Amino acid sequence: MSDLDRAIEQLRACRLIPESQVRELCYKARELLIEEGNVVSVDAPVTICGDIHGQFHDLMELFRVGGDVPDTNYLFMGDFVDRGFYSLESFLLLLCLKVRYPDRITLIRGNHESRQITTVYGFYDECIRKYGSANVWRYCCEVFDYLALGAIVLGASSELEPTGSSMNDTTQSTMPIDDGELETEVLNSHGEVTSTSYRPRFRPSSVASNDSRNISPPRDISAASGSTGTPTRTGVPGTGASADGNGSATTSRTGAVLCVHGGLSPLIDSVDKIRLIDRKQEVPHEGAMCDLLWSDPDEIEGWGLSPRGAGFLFGGDIVKQFNHLNGLSLVARAHQLVMEGYKEMFDGGIVTVWSAPNYCYRCGNVAAILELGEDTSNGGTIARSNGEYGRSNGVLGEGNTVVSPGRRYRVFEAAAQDTRGMPAKKPVADYFL
Amino acid sequence: MAAPHIPNLNTLRRGRGRGRGGLRGVDASHGTRTTAKDLVVQGTDNDASVSRLSAVELGYLGDPFAKALTAPENATRRLPIINRGTYVRTTAIDQLVDRFLGLPSSGGTTQKKQIISLGAGSDTRVFRLFTSRQPSNLIYHELDFAVNTSAKIRAIRTTPILQQALDIESSSNDVLVSEAGDALHTSSYHLYPLDLRSLSSSSSPSELLPHVDTTLPTLLISECCLIYLSPTEATEVVSFFTERLLGPQTAPLGLVLYEPIRPNDAFGRTMVSNLATRGIQLQTLHKYATLEAQRERFRGQGFTSGQAVADIEFIWNRWVDEEEKERVSRLEMLDEMEEWQLLARHYCIAWGWREGDDTAAFNGWTTLPAQPGE
Repeated sequence: MSDLDRAIEQLRACRLIPESQVRELCYKARELLIEEGNVVSVDAPVTICGDIHGQFHDLMELFRVGGDVPDTNYLFMGDFVDRGFYSLESFLLLLCLKVRYPDRITLIRGNHESRQITTVYGFYDECIRKYGSANVWRYCCEVFDYLALGAIVLGASSELEPTGSSMNDTTQSTMPIDDGELETEVLNSHGEVTSTSYRPRFRPSSVASNDSRNISPPRDISAASGSTGTPTRTGVPGTGASADGNGSATTSRTGAVLCVHGGLSPLIDSVDKIRLIDRKQEVPHEGAMCDLLWSDPDEIEGWGLSPRGAGFLFGGDIVKQFNHLNGLSLVARAHQLVMEGYKEMFDGGIVTVWSAPNYCYRCGNVAAILELGEDTSNGGTIARSNGEYGRSNGVLGEGNTVVSPGRRYRVFEAAAQDTRGMPAKKPVADYFL
Repeated sequence: MAAPHIPNLNTLRRGRGRGRGGLRGVDASHGTRTTAKDLVVQGTDNDASVSRLSAVELGYLGDPFAKALTAPENATRRLPIINRGTYVRTTAIDQLVDRFLGLPSSGGTTQKKQIISLGAGSDTRVFRLFTSRQPSNLIYHELDFAVNTSAKIRAIRTTPILQQALDIESSSNDVLVSEAGDALHTSSYHLYPLDLRSLSSSSSPSELLPHVDTTLPTLLISECCLIYLSPTEATEVVSFFTERLLGPQTAPLGLVLYEPIRPNDAFGRTMVSNLATRGIQLQTLHKYATLEAQRERFRGQGFTSGQAVADIEFIWNRWVDEEEKERVSRLEMLDEMEEWQLLARHYCIAWGWREGDDTAAFNGWTTLPAQPGE
């Protein structure tokens, strides 16, 4: 067993590795990350995750629900550290997995992967407390500077392979349209389907009915459970695409998915402009790089000032235009706590994915991950468009409509901390008393 | 700066304290047995003072007394959302208090008024008011468990600026400290070691709080205090003032509350269970779960001239002017907007009053934005 595998095993048990090993790990990680562009290309199938924030036990729950590395491909959209009590264990484990399985896991930068923010929100203090000096914090911050700013997911299937035994999919779903495509599916942590939506099957000869419904998270996931039997999941989690596709109708018409921690920037009108940023630095207080990590979508038109003091607010029109110009069907981002774990906005043009359940041990929210299946209908060939997909067509015409990928959300709750034989400090959340 | 003369309060208390009948009443009143739950509630004061010091040291609040009333070993930097919440809570109550006390007239004086703070703990408001309003023309009463009043008196004894604020060093101001060191009385400040639950069983309200002038316009303050009592006890504490001690009088009377609300959503449920693991029970929370329930509470307890309530998020948005908001926002990067909104929606300030013989006494409160709806 290699040192790296030993380190992974140790970190999985929520035990830290020696400082010298952290140093070596961070060095290797930087060597790896420096080769990545600002926008990493990732092939479906992939499972997209939002903020983790040092909630190590919940990260373990995420892997339980979503499948383990390297069986499942993962894309983490930043904010690994701060707030929770196990930022070090969480980030170092993810970093080990990255070094061990570089093609299986993608890490992009969140606004908390910054020297300034980590000194306010806990990661710095945690490093001092657990290692007795700021050395490990410094190594980690150097890694932060090399993390990619975004990722483009290519080759996602427009249709989900049904998970099979959905126990309850008539209560909260749109009824399956005759010959309809399964577009979205929401599962609870037991793998039970709690909600689904369908769209009419794409027919090349007619104008595609792009029925990308704005699905709302179910109000109460738990209400939908409590049924008979636990369905068995077919295949490896994260590879929800069907083995043979469903015929030639679903050719590679699914637009690419841009993943970024925060959102868009008024200084960035194309994915290519992201590639031009000199990213290897502390997150600046303003400018394109700052915006990508700090901005939020909002129910406004155009751009607005962010109450966070960094980044901007952007409306549905901005998202629509950006997606259109870049051949994207979806922007996946994290950054904002959403009580239901995920939230689609602007007719499904953008989704927030939040992966820290009961955030800060206080918020009472559930978490989610987003699985995109692989489109195998093209014999595995992926249109490598680097985000330029469809742009050359000018106005997207008949048969060229970019449809959104099928989206499977797995919703999960906070892990029971004391059941895994791992050290778990009783979290104390601040209130006003 | 020359060190001011600090009187030895230990010598002051001898004999003189016992010379007044009032102190005997005070001493006799704290016979309630202290339970483990009481200790937890008493400990919540420490949380509040640590949060206040954090907000002061980062520039949210100006409060020269915060440090003196916080145990140094507990000092810690709170998270930005906690600091902002502490800021909003403190300044909102300051504003209600200021509007109650009123501005000095052209002659430089204000009408004499009185504040009674329930479960005041290490609160610094009395020191800030006496320093900022000269002459203050204010009688300030604080009621709390003996363990908390004793700690405060110890702090006063060892801290010159607290004594200056109370005008203790001037020889004209009589200072009386009880034998047990848990009650303190000056001409304008009274610290009573009292378990609030003992009020309702008292046969003689005025003997229990002998320094309360029942003819003065009076403001009661409960900052996260009544919520730890059972609904019946909390009602009885307020009734003790509205019906018994001040009941027969016609002086104006107001009440300001600050406490959690909305226990029934995901955040609220988590709050209740998290606090329960610390042994803290917010006993009236479910009874006064909504804005409307708070308003109804005030109506039911005789504050018939006006009742209003607003959550902390509303107060931050509506009571804090833009310039000040910008100043506060610049103090720290507050990244967690969604969490701030969640937290701030789960605390409220409620205020209500009865005019009595002075219909103008609470005029200053009528123009404060209140939050409509549930």
